[in-house]
Amino acid sequence: MKIVLLLLIFIVCIFIGFTVSRKYRVRANFFKAMITLCQKFDIEINYSRERLKNIFLNLDSSIKNDLSGIDKNFLLFIDKETPLDKNSLFDKITFLKEDEKDILFNFFRSLGRSDVESQSKEIKNYLNRFEQVSQNTILENKKYGTLSVKLGVIAGLLLIVIFI
Amino acid sequence: MLEKILPQDIYNIIKNKVNINYVNEIRLRSDKPILLQIGGKRTFLSSSGTTSSIKEALLASKIMIEDIIFRASECSIYSVNEQIKKGFIVTNGGIRLGIGGDLIEENGVIKTMTNFSSVNIRLPHEIKNCSLCAFDFLLENNNVLNTLVVSPPGAGKTTFLRDFIRQLSEHNYAFNVLVLDERGELDLGNNCLGNFADKISFARKSIGFENGIRSLSPNIIVTDEIGQKEDIDAICYAMNCGVKILASAHCDSMDSLAKKPLFESLVQDKLFQRYVFLSMRNGPGTLEGIYNENLTRLRV
Repeated sequence: MKIVLLLLIFIVCIFIGFTVSRKYRVRANFFKAMITLCQKFDIEINYSRERLKNIFLNLDSSIKNDLSGIDKNFLLFIDKETPLDKNSLFDKITFLKEDEKDILFNFFRSLGRSDVESQSKEIKNYLNRFEQVSQNTILENKKYGTLSVKLGVIAGLLLIVIFI
Repeated sequence: MLEKILPQDIYNIIKNKVNINYVNEIRLRSDKPILLQIGGKRTFLSSSGTTSSIKEALLASKIMIEDIIFRASECSIYSVNEQIKKGFIVTNGGIRLGIGGDLIEENGVIKTMTNFSSVNIRLPHEIKNCSLCAFDFLLENNNVLNTLVVSPPGAGKTTFLRDFIRQLSEHNYAFNVLVLDERGELDLGNNCLGNFADKISFARKSIGFENGIRSLSPNIIVTDEIGQKEDIDAICYAMNCGVKILASAHCDSMDSLAKKPLFESLVQDKLFQRYVFLSMRNGPGTLEGIYNENLTRLRV
């Protein structure tokens, strides 16, 4: 019984480690996907004048996956089902910091509001900001992502030793 | 489509308290009362439907107007900037929004329009068979005569043209019809142009006529609202190519048509064999008369 309990504690510790690690990975992937999204916007807006809804609907499934639902939340606004506010846009998205939410909110709020030239400039501006944030999240992921898994394993082993 | 454009509360009032089938226009001006044109008559929109009292009228706001234009562009202003530069947007369902605001010009070229201050939403209506009373007068020896539909703005020219194209199809006249839809208003979807129509949208008439004749070899070209010298030149070019023309033009009477400098030579040279004059006397689409090339009244 004791062995099963200890095993359970060990598994829980590893799970927590993986969950924390996953958060860093998801953040890094999210901002990578935002960069790809900006690049796609810039091309589609400049060359085919494609509408936002179609751009979002035709995104690759891997990018959609990495965007963690922010694309779907914005589509709900386009379809007039929700207003464009922070609560609706970041619904079920918990891994972003407040300042990142501010940048993202302003980005989505600016989409589709101006002519091609202004829109393209605006997107390039946000692209630069997302690239900076992305660098940070990649570094964070490298630093803390693997560290949290290791800490989970160490904490699990430590608890086993303490309880033995 | 209207529900996607208008603010929900305004749409609900129009849908539930006004008969939307008779609404021709919805006008919103920043901080001014919202105006409806219903069956050719103007009235204010109030929370209980329509009102003649300006005090009870709902006011439009600048944010409301900007949001309507943003929604009409399917949340993508950049995709309709070429239309905005000309002062309008046409939605998928053929709803045309005339826009007022500040034009941004650079080196003599219009770049865009910003600071939107008013919008005029024109709702198209497919009035089936509205051209039937004129149909037989516009054909001779199983061929369509060059025809100009004339009326003041909002009196049903586009609706007449749309129905006439459909009537040709329904009467089994398998002419190749090319619809030059410069403002995107003629085609409402749902097969309203019948089975034999090709369409070129949002192209200038001069380009549309030349490209269309070369690539689609039409028997008839239908185009809306001619009003410039280059439009007349394009029509002459098409007529010289043996293509029949069905067009429309703004004018408040047949007399003034013949006196307008642009149309003077067109009437004198008898380029059109038929003129259909519509008015708003008994509501949009009132047929005032059908005239021949000598401007002699044939009917009504």
